[in-house]
Amino acid sequence: MDALASSLSAPPRLTRDLNEDGDDAGSSAEWGSQGGFGNLHSGFVGGMTVPRTPDPAAFLNLHTDSMSSNPQAKIKLAHGTTTLAFRFKGGIIVAVDSRATAGSYIASGTVKKVIEINPYLLGTMAGGAADCQYWETYLGMQCRLHELRNKERISVAAASKILSNIVYQYKGMGLSMGTMICGWDKTGPALFYVDSEGQRLKGDLFSVGSGSTFAYGVLDQGYKFDLTDEEAQDLGRRSICAAGHRDAFSGNTINLYHVKEHGWDFIGNYDLSETWYEYTQKEKGDKMTRVEAPSPMAVEA
Amino acid sequence: MAMHAERSAALHELTSAPIQHAFNPYEDNGGTILAIAGKDFSVIAGDTRQSQGYSIQTRYARKVWQLTDRAVLATNGFAADGNNFVKKVKQRLEWYEHAHHKQMPLKSIARMIQTILYGKRFFPYYVYNILGGIEEDGTGAVYSYDPVGTYERESCRAAGAAQSILQPFLDNQIYFKNQTPEPGAEPFIPGNLPLSTVLALVVDSFTSATERHIEVGDGLEVYVVMKKGRPTDDLVGEGKLAPGMAVEELDALGEGDGEKTFLVTRSLKRD
Amino acid sequence: MSIMEYNGGSVVAMVGKDCVAIATDMRLGQQSIGVAHNFEKVFPINDKLYYGLPGLASDVYSLREHLRFRVNMYRMKEEREITPKTFTHLLSSTLYEKRFGPWFLEPVVAGLPAPTEMEPHPKPFISTMDTIGCITTPKDFAVAGTATDKLYGVAEGLWEPDLEPEDLFETISQTLLNAVDRDALSGWGAVVHVITHDKVITRTLRSRMD
Repeated sequence: MDALASSLSAPPRLTRDLNEDGDDAGSSAEWGSQGGFGNLHSGFVGGMTVPRTPDPAAFLNLHTDSMSSNPQAKIKLAHGTTTLAFRFKGGIIVAVDSRATAGSYIASGTVKKVIEINPYLLGTMAGGAADCQYWETYLGMQCRLHELRNKERISVAAASKILSNIVYQYKGMGLSMGTMICGWDKTGPALFYVDSEGQRLKGDLFSVGSGSTFAYGVLDQGYKFDLTDEEAQDLGRRSICAAGHRDAFSGNTINLYHVKEHGWDFIGNYDLSETWYEYTQKEKGDKMTRVEAPSPMAVEA
Repeated sequence: MAMHAERSAALHELTSAPIQHAFNPYEDNGGTILAIAGKDFSVIAGDTRQSQGYSIQTRYARKVWQLTDRAVLATNGFAADGNNFVKKVKQRLEWYEHAHHKQMPLKSIARMIQTILYGKRFFPYYVYNILGGIEEDGTGAVYSYDPVGTYERESCRAAGAAQSILQPFLDNQIYFKNQTPEPGAEPFIPGNLPLSTVLALVVDSFTSATERHIEVGDGLEVYVVMKKGRPTDDLVGEGKLAPGMAVEELDALGEGDGEKTFLVTRSLKRD
Repeated sequence: MSIMEYNGGSVVAMVGKDCVAIATDMRLGQQSIGVAHNFEKVFPINDKLYYGLPGLASDVYSLREHLRFRVNMYRMKEEREITPKTFTHLLSSTLYEKRFGPWFLEPVVAGLPAPTEMEPHPKPFISTMDTIGCITTPKDFAVAGTATDKLYGVAEGLWEPDLEPEDLFETISQTLLNAVDRDALSGWGAVVHVITHDKVITRTLRSRMD
């Protein structure tokens, strides 16, 4: 059965050898100001060096540790995350943490996990940091080209599909990303989940990453479509706070964004630990008042 | 022999099962690098030991490279990949200079390094990079990378064998983490420390790392990049540096816009 | 998965001038999930001797009870308090008894030996050992747990000889807090004990909770 399944889900073969136009090629596009993203000239996303082994994906798995599943590997890639986004009447709230871990070492506490694709599109980062950063930057270029060609802003649906099509090309080769593409287009606020397995989902509420279960817990009990802007922002912040508290691989700071009709607004960067103390202090206060309230059934000692 | 790493644990066990040999193209050459950004300067440092397991290959191997008059790159990890990577970056910088008749700005070098690293996403360079220098607006900057190109601008970063030894100390001393100013005292402002303090912290960091990590030691190279027009009297001159340290000014690589790069050297313990 | 990293947690001890300090974080986790933030890993033997047991949480409980028994037996037989040095050796041999199926703990001991006729001015004492009881007795500081390398770095940078109790408190607190803030498996609160000749100062620190 497994053999059958794997034969059916074999990754699509790339039509061209990825080694062609390698990064050391010095093609004409790399000379000029397009240097770096110079692979644009062919219209094909190329320029990727692949080891000449029978199974490049197995090679990559042997030497890299993208999800801490292979701790003896030398190359440790940054990972570990909590991200969330949800749609409500006032637009979309996007909230993320800022921690990157390599094994149990906290490699960074200041990672920008919301990628500002352009002034009205946001992408979130979970999984391989480089995969998200690179391909979402690249998506920004493709969205700009769409604008130039069509005299019209790209829809969130189309933008997210560009990304999912790109990562599907590389399916099975070791890319790792779980991202939410958020924006406001002609249809109103739109939210798509795109991952490196090729999945692309439209939805109202997503949370991605190692701390997502904790975030969902808070998010689900407080979510309504009719939330006010303040309530929605607080729900996003509180959910990431809960996840950062419980999940060892999430934390440090919270980055909060609000997508509105005119584009996205950066609401703020909050220290997660300080936020946690604020919420617990408030809860303690609530409990105190509940205890103090006299009950008719109370028995005096 | 390392090229044919045994994957079977029992080396001499008689078995009819095939033994898988795998080519291992990567090596860990130890060492540590560190960079700190100031208001109008940037400090990029690295030790000079290159090791392989418990053996020292050389006591002097360069890990920090001057790229332009305002950019210095530190590489750490697999030395062969690192040297090749620097070679490639320098080539691209030369092409840029020919095409545009100016040196590439720091933030552009930063992005270029991402795309070069990501170009080998499926056969990564086993290199951790830290780029330091002066931005076009004259501020000191540090960019740090993972092997496949994630990058972020920071004001302080340690990487390599002793990163976990150095980074928490720097969090405390550079970012003032877990410190509160006394009531009524000036608030702490990270990234605003004077050069002399930063240099002292760099030296302390590396002596600590040398003490506690076998792959760190032998020599220390500290590159200091200064904004154009910044006075240099806090670095150059009699008695400015601690005993045992030497400083030299490096020649401009380009037209010489006014940014200055200095190389401060010092020895580290060799045991 | 390493058993030594299953629950997380770290301990550090430092020598001062006529005082010693020992500090621990309070996290108890199940790999990435934080379970409790009241899990102290440092325990007293008497008011001059404390020890810390970072490692596998179930072994923390078992070994602590085991040691309580052995120290009480020592007290009854000898009719005196155990010295830090003797306790270290007691602990070491307890660990070595399980040489081929060890306790998954890396103990740290900190104590002030009582003055005797032989030694009227004894030095403050700290020691640490591996999971099977190999002792090291540093002159400056001892660290153990999942944040070991981070603790080494900060301690190496901040510690200096002959610190007075209040300065030692500041040094060990800063060392622990900054080290566990770079360790995903340690943190979630901290406790510091500074042992001096006339009192033990115990303080809980307000640390990051993520």
